[in-house]
Amino acid sequence: MLDGIDPKSAVPIYRQIADQLRRSVAAGLLAPGDRLPSVRELAGRLLVNPNTVAKVYRDLERDGLLETRRGDGTYISAHAAAMAEADRQRILAERLEAVARDVRAFGISNKAALGLFRDALTNRRRERGDSR
Amino acid sequence: MTDNPYAITTHSLTKRFGRLAALDRVSAHVPRGSIYGFMGPNGAGKTTFVHCLLNLIDPTSGTAAVLGHDVVRDSVAVRRRVGHVAALQPLWDWMKVREFAGFMAGCYPRWSQQTVSDILSRVGINQNARIQTLSRGQRALVGLAVAIGHEPDVLLLDEALTGLDPIARREVLRNIIEAMHADGRTVLITGQDIADMERICDHIGFLVNGRLILESPLDDLKARVKRVRVEHPAESPPAVPADALQVEQSARETLFTTRDCSPALLDSLDGPGRRVGIMDLDLENIFIHLAQPPVEAIR
Repeated sequence: MLDGIDPKSAVPIYRQIADQLRRSVAAGLLAPGDRLPSVRELAGRLLVNPNTVAKVYRDLERDGLLETRRGDGTYISAHAAAMAEADRQRILAERLEAVARDVRAFGISNKAALGLFRDALTNRRRERGDSR
Repeated sequence: MTDNPYAITTHSLTKRFGRLAALDRVSAHVPRGSIYGFMGPNGAGKTTFVHCLLNLIDPTSGTAAVLGHDVVRDSVAVRRRVGHVAALQPLWDWMKVREFAGFMAGCYPRWSQQTVSDILSRVGINQNARIQTLSRGQRALVGLAVAIGHEPDVLLLDEALTGLDPIARREVLRNIIEAMHADGRTVLITGQDIADMERICDHIGFLVNGRLILESPLDDLKARVKRVRVEHPAESPPAVPADALQVEQSARETLFTTRDCSPALLDSLDGPGRRVGIMDLDLENIFIHLAQPPVEAIR
């Protein structure tokens, strides 16, 4: 579910964990009703500060993605599926924003950047075609 | 006192050994429930700081308080609530693990042998083993287990990870995380391994030549300290902010590090024919960039 985190990244560990959870839900790897590990378990597995994991759970619960059943742990909420579509778009928009920053910093034209993105999509389609 | 958001505070804490200031006016703030990474090069004063908190040595001037207790006046109260893993833990080599734990239990009015036994059995250390037969990683785990036997509110881990192989380090890290989570303990850990600190700490203090040159929540630090690059026409270089660090300027390019990469700063750099780029810095580079000027200034 969570494939480790990169402590050296400029993206805070909090964001890395939250984004991975959102992405897992968006991609259908986690479905409503699935149970998440406890804060302590996940912190121990990822070797990160438990405060960070607790904050991720708290914030995602507030957002409606997770729900805590008293004394029974944290689950993917029933609303998560509906949120997944919006999340997919948001996650993509955020990543594209980072790419757009690089495009500006490198001084690449819009046309060239869009061309590169189209190529990336085409390559990806070919890859998936190959694997099937 | 209960409203105090900090587990440890020091005010202008100074310790001189002869002419050497091992700690030079250190004012540190360790939030309750945090894992605070107290970092710095060898000889920066990290262990001296820990020893002051435990009142193993008296400060030359300034004050320090742990959980509201002054470390000099109330040193007994402080030690009852603090667990300590020393650099180069002086474990009694000839003792069995069980005997060592029993010996430490005698030092405190409150003791949970259950806590100690739980950790030791979880990490697979036989309490009948003699300490001298244990690996370095196992000794570190014994040190940690015994340090929390009296269920302290604050854990001081002095170089607890230093010199351990990667597997032992992971095991010790995992147990620090466990120990920390139990009751919202506060952990202050000294060391130099940036990758470990970056992983588990939420607050960072950086000590250089006895001076605390930086103290910040880690996420803040990463969000604010940036390397800025401005490409510009040769005739109109940007005005570099006065507090910029590591400035490199050539005909058409200016590079510098800023402690606070704000939109206002970026606006002030932008202009006709210019291009402003921001580069992230990891903790290692943040330290390198921030440490240099003060180090030179002191010498």
